[in-house]
Amino acid sequence: MEILSLLGGGFAVALTPTNLMYCFLGSLIGTAIGVLPGLGPPATIALLLPVTYGLAPTSAVILLAGIFYGAMYGGSTTSILLKIPGEAASVVTCLDGYQMARQGRAGAALAISAIGSFVAGTVSVVGLMLLAPPLATFALRFGAPEYCALLVLGLLMVGYLGGGSMTKGLMMAVLGLLLGMVGLDPIVGSPRFTLGVFKLSEGFEFVLVAMGLFGIGEVLANVAHAVPPAVLKTRIQGLLASREEWRRAGPPLARGSLLGFLIGVLPGGGAVISSFVSYALEKRLSRHPEQFGKGAVEGVAGPEAANNAAATSSFVPLLTLGIPGNASIALIFAALLIHGVRPGPLLVTERPEVFWGLIASMYIGNLVLLVLNLPLIRLWVKLLEVPYPLLAPFIVVFVLVGAYSVNNSVFDVGTTVAFGALGYLLRKLDFEPAPLVLAMILGPQLEAALRRSLIYSRGDLMVFIERPIAASLLALAALMLLAPLFRWLLQRRVREMAAAGSPPPD
Amino acid sequence: MARREAIAAAGALLVAAWVFREATALPFGSLRQPGPGFAPRWAAVTLAGLSVLLLVQALRALPSTGSGPPPAPEARGGGLRVAGLVLALAFYVVALVPVGYPICTFLLVLFMRRPTTRRALLPALVLAAAAAAGSYLLFAVWLRVPLPPGPFAG
Repeated sequence: MEILSLLGGGFAVALTPTNLMYCFLGSLIGTAIGVLPGLGPPATIALLLPVTYGLAPTSAVILLAGIFYGAMYGGSTTSILLKIPGEAASVVTCLDGYQMARQGRAGAALAISAIGSFVAGTVSVVGLMLLAPPLATFALRFGAPEYCALLVLGLLMVGYLGGGSMTKGLMMAVLGLLLGMVGLDPIVGSPRFTLGVFKLSEGFEFVLVAMGLFGIGEVLANVAHAVPPAVLKTRIQGLLASREEWRRAGPPLARGSLLGFLIGVLPGGGAVISSFVSYALEKRLSRHPEQFGKGAVEGVAGPEAANNAAATSSFVPLLTLGIPGNASIALIFAALLIHGVRPGPLLVTERPEVFWGLIASMYIGNLVLLVLNLPLIRLWVKLLEVPYPLLAPFIVVFVLVGAYSVNNSVFDVGTTVAFGALGYLLRKLDFEPAPLVLAMILGPQLEAALRRSLIYSRGDLMVFIERPIAASLLALAALMLLAPLFRWLLQRRVREMAAAGSPPPD
Repeated sequence: MARREAIAAAGALLVAAWVFREATALPFGSLRQPGPGFAPRWAAVTLAGLSVLLLVQALRALPSTGSGPPPAPEARGGGLRVAGLVLALAFYVVALVPVGYPICTFLLVLFMRRPTTRRALLPALVLAAAAAAGSYLLFAVWLRVPLPPGPFAG
């Protein structure tokens, strides 16, 4: 009852005309920057941070939070329509969302994404409200070894994303790890693989690599064909998902919401990890894993729900512990500090209007995003009717401006073009670039966690076995790695028994 | 397919060797105190192992698939078109600051429209001008991205 009364107070704050306007504005800006590749949530929040100086703390945090979760919503649009991830968490959506669009189901993919995001976002806000303190306490038990184990499991899942060959998927993941090592070493800060280029000491900006591999790489692959791709010639069948598609999307939405919420709570977890863990989970659970990467509804519903749930739940460690889990949340943390509000355990009691006002604004923001996005589906789908040769130059210009706008640097544009050429080459060689991109994000975190674990345990590898959470996660990773071997042994046994004329085992 | 996989595996093996050589210049440290070269060396070894595995898989598949199917007909000449566009993009990167965003974008869009579709020049020119001016207005003027203006400065 007390929670309801506190939430009521939060709604009283969030529903004032000023805060309502900032909630709408944040959601709108977030959707737009999610759609625009290059201008990611951290860059936009950083740009708008000075604008919030004149606002009340609650209004400021409502605006910035709206941008953050709005971007998660909007990020799927270009992933589905053009295979250009608007932000990191939408990379996974490219795999099946784009294939659905190619099959004339862009409207369905966008609708599942929008409604899935709404459901997941709302579930996550309820979770944030009810479970924030106990979950934050559990997250506190995650030390470097647990993170290291979690990231190892994550990387194996990333390799699994490759779809076809696990060897190729893992090779892409290791290449991504190596790309993530370019720049300053995360512990001692010495430069690595910079080839004497000063700009490389900052490492490769993730968004540039993603835009190059996916955006430019896709255009180059299409240019290589004399006949433009059939994607844009396919008839668009209905603007909303069918009953059968909703039936298939339901369980992944539920699982994605829960998974996204739990992963988002872990500092460093966030939307990106949750989206690919959800994808790997759905593929594992599916009766038709071969449909993944070819337009499986589950491959859109699960990751989209997960990334939106994680975006919301990543506020848990910020609001209850004062620990920002990712770059965007770190900027919101900075905004709160600038306004004299210290996020942490005392926030709920000392500044309830900020805590509950923000939570109430998230309910409103989710509704605003749904109202904003569903009518826009018709407009986004119209984009597919533009002939590809006409669309391709605009995609390239869009990506190049996006690349430039990250740091206002021509070097970044060159990096994007170089990764575009690499993306084309990878396609030619039948390698899926998604594991590379995701491993690039996880790599630095994994290396830092591994080295911290070893320093902490004085080189004793038992630290990963003696700690129950780390050991469980590593056992899961080992099972995952050995699964193809078990499958191969089982198939061999079945063949041998069939050859011997005896019935195969169940 | 198997032939291309073998080539890719050989390429990845070379990358792994190069990374390992570069990583040897960095302090490896020890298990107690891993240095900056610790993770890169392990990653290079893992990549080399996976490359060898793929190479073996590809070589074992080679006798059954031969040299693989001939390239699809629509792919013929595609390599040249891709090389042309990559060169155009490289020119774009080099010329962006001295020549400016509007002119570079105009030329790039014109290049992309002309050789691939053989359309009349006028629609291509109109499209290129619209793309350059429209995107400049959207990003530079409205969103205030400081795109290099070139001769349009001031």
